[in-house]
Amino acid sequence: MTILLKLTNVAVYAGDSCLLEPISLSLVQGRPLTILGQTGSGKSLLAQAVMGLLPEELALQGEIEVLGESMTCDERRALWGTKLVMLPQEPWNALDPLMKGVDQVQEVYRYVHGKHQREAMALAQADLQYVGLAHSGAKRPSQLSGGMAQRLAIAAATAGGASLILADEPTKGLDASRRLDIVRLLQTRSAMGGLLTITHDVAIARQLGGDILVIKAGRLVEQGDAQTVLSHPEGEYTQALLGAEPRVWKEASFSVPLPESPEVVLNVEKLSIERGGKSLFNDLSFQVKQGEVVGIVGESGCGKSSLGDALLGLLPVASGRISRLIPAAQPYQWLKLYQDPPSAVTSSVTLGKLLEDLVGLHGIDRGRIAPMMDKLSLPEVILERSCHGVSGGELQRFAILRALLLNPVFLFADEPTSRLDPITAKEVTTLLFSLARETKCAVLLVSHDADLVRKTCDQVIAL
Amino acid sequence: MTFSMKSSQKCGLIILLGLLAFAVLGSWLSPYTISQQDLNAILEPPNAQHWLGTDHFGRSMFTRMAYAVGLSFALGLVCVMTSALLGTFLGVWAAWSGKQVDGVLGVFVNILLALPGLVIVLLLAAIAPGSFLMLYLAISLVQWVEYFRVVRAVTQAVVQSPARQSSQMMGFGRWYQFKRHIWPAIAPSVFTLAAFGGANAILTMASLGFIYVGIQPPLAELGLMTVELFPYYSEAPWLLVQPLVVIALIVFGFHLLAGKRI
Repeated sequence: MTILLKLTNVAVYAGDSCLLEPISLSLVQGRPLTILGQTGSGKSLLAQAVMGLLPEELALQGEIEVLGESMTCDERRALWGTKLVMLPQEPWNALDPLMKGVDQVQEVYRYVHGKHQREAMALAQADLQYVGLAHSGAKRPSQLSGGMAQRLAIAAATAGGASLILADEPTKGLDASRRLDIVRLLQTRSAMGGLLTITHDVAIARQLGGDILVIKAGRLVEQGDAQTVLSHPEGEYTQALLGAEPRVWKEASFSVPLPESPEVVLNVEKLSIERGGKSLFNDLSFQVKQGEVVGIVGESGCGKSSLGDALLGLLPVASGRISRLIPAAQPYQWLKLYQDPPSAVTSSVTLGKLLEDLVGLHGIDRGRIAPMMDKLSLPEVILERSCHGVSGGELQRFAILRALLLNPVFLFADEPTSRLDPITAKEVTTLLFSLARETKCAVLLVSHDADLVRKTCDQVIAL
Repeated sequence: MTFSMKSSQKCGLIILLGLLAFAVLGSWLSPYTISQQDLNAILEPPNAQHWLGTDHFGRSMFTRMAYAVGLSFALGLVCVMTSALLGTFLGVWAAWSGKQVDGVLGVFVNILLALPGLVIVLLLAAIAPGSFLMLYLAISLVQWVEYFRVVRAVTQAVVQSPARQSSQMMGFGRWYQFKRHIWPAIAPSVFTLAAFGGANAILTMASLGFIYVGIQPPLAELGLMTVELFPYYSEAPWLLVQPLVVIALIVFGFHLLAGKRI
């Protein structure tokens, strides 16, 4: 077994403060290594350090050996593409938007390996076939789904023949169903060389197997064989991380029961929706009651989000009827929680100002804000910052705070936690549902995570 | 909203404020008027009575330059204000009010774009030579298109954004959505365009003056002064240099102020 990558006491400092405490690891051929940790725990710094991509203001200490030789930053950079490669985080941002997929792979063969155009094209086609994109080679990245784009990026990144692959959050922003494909692809690639994966997703770590390192706030908390660590976690943090998976949640973990004799909030009869001339679903009928959590599951692209938007009147319906049955409810009490919190809150003013705007518009009692913020464990200080200065979890809880202040009767939560790490996701989900119960607000939850929907919802609609 | 200026932008602002101060103080303090002739003292070099010398009719160059700079700034300012307001308003309207409005405005803008800007200005200016109002209308008509196109493109993205949609669902009105979502997104581009627009308006007026279509004698205008002093370039080069340097300084100042954002 050859050791492909060996780190000895590698640490990253910003001035005097330590961002990543000394860490040692070794990556051997054919045995994947996974680094698991929350966002902001310094995982990505490690990958940047190995690649030689650390920002200039950060200082690197320790020794990095690649393929048995200790190397400086510049020497490692010289290995890019042919020996050492990093997969981009969100591939649709890393691919050339104007270039056909097959050309992006073909270029690697031509310019890295110096092959002739025809030969390069044949090799690129073979690569695309291998990742299951044989018929999509002529498409541009914007015409591909997220999973397809990631597979294309993997094909392009590995075409250089690198034996050492670093994957930084390879499945970030992808549907759960697509994640498995990517992991399988990475696995087959790793059999030929070394694979270092950085992720916050426990399921991926479990699937990849091999060795695992758990990092919290720049410090190594647990290390060992993936199977052993994930089935018998010793560290408190590892246990919390594993406990946050919807798979292991206790069923009906809400203390508040459904309200007695709830009124019907929404009645949907024979609803059909079309988008771009294509029918998404037909003749859907259901009812939503006060305080109920309704889950919608289905493949990506089947119209889950469109259904929610149609119920809120944001999309036209092709046929059928949606009746709102609470006459006293104002239009602003039908609200939506968005998937990506930073894009759903303007950054032009501070969060406090946004809250002030809302209070002013609807004459909300200011006394309700402080207790509500307590419940959502939102610190006062975030009100002085704009949305760029707070974490995704805090921002999503702020969005929930704004929504709840309006006493909503119906809340459409469109994948509210898919961009948050598991521990935060669990907190946010539990909070949202129990608060909704308390205030008799109906919630429509769209999620890719079948476990989450099964564990939390009173009614499930499968599209 | 806070403005943080780069040092080059501050430099541009200082140049422009300096010229403005020269225009205001010059017209106010000078004992001469712009058309007061003294045929005994023509083409004089700078001296104690006439700080910037006198032209071929013995008129004070200092007074005339101050007046011309003031006129240029006035025109630049009103043109920028008008075209920015009009372009921004129509751009937001086109992006926000559905396909019909957008389509109609799009056709109108494309017609305007099909004609070279200077030709439109020349046509309108030739209808009423020497009319400040006509110059102003013509230049504004040409310039608002830029604002329209940039603002429309940026606003389209903002209108589709979850952030604006969420504000709308929470019951906020159109003005609020403009103030919090659209304006912060378009403001940097509008300010940059305005800085370039100011320079362009002044340059256009000078070009028209240079071919005798713009402001008419005896008024002082930078382009007109350039062409009037042109015959005396070998006897009194210091006179011809003055309007040229000032035009260059104004354009330079505005471009520095615009920064490098576009």
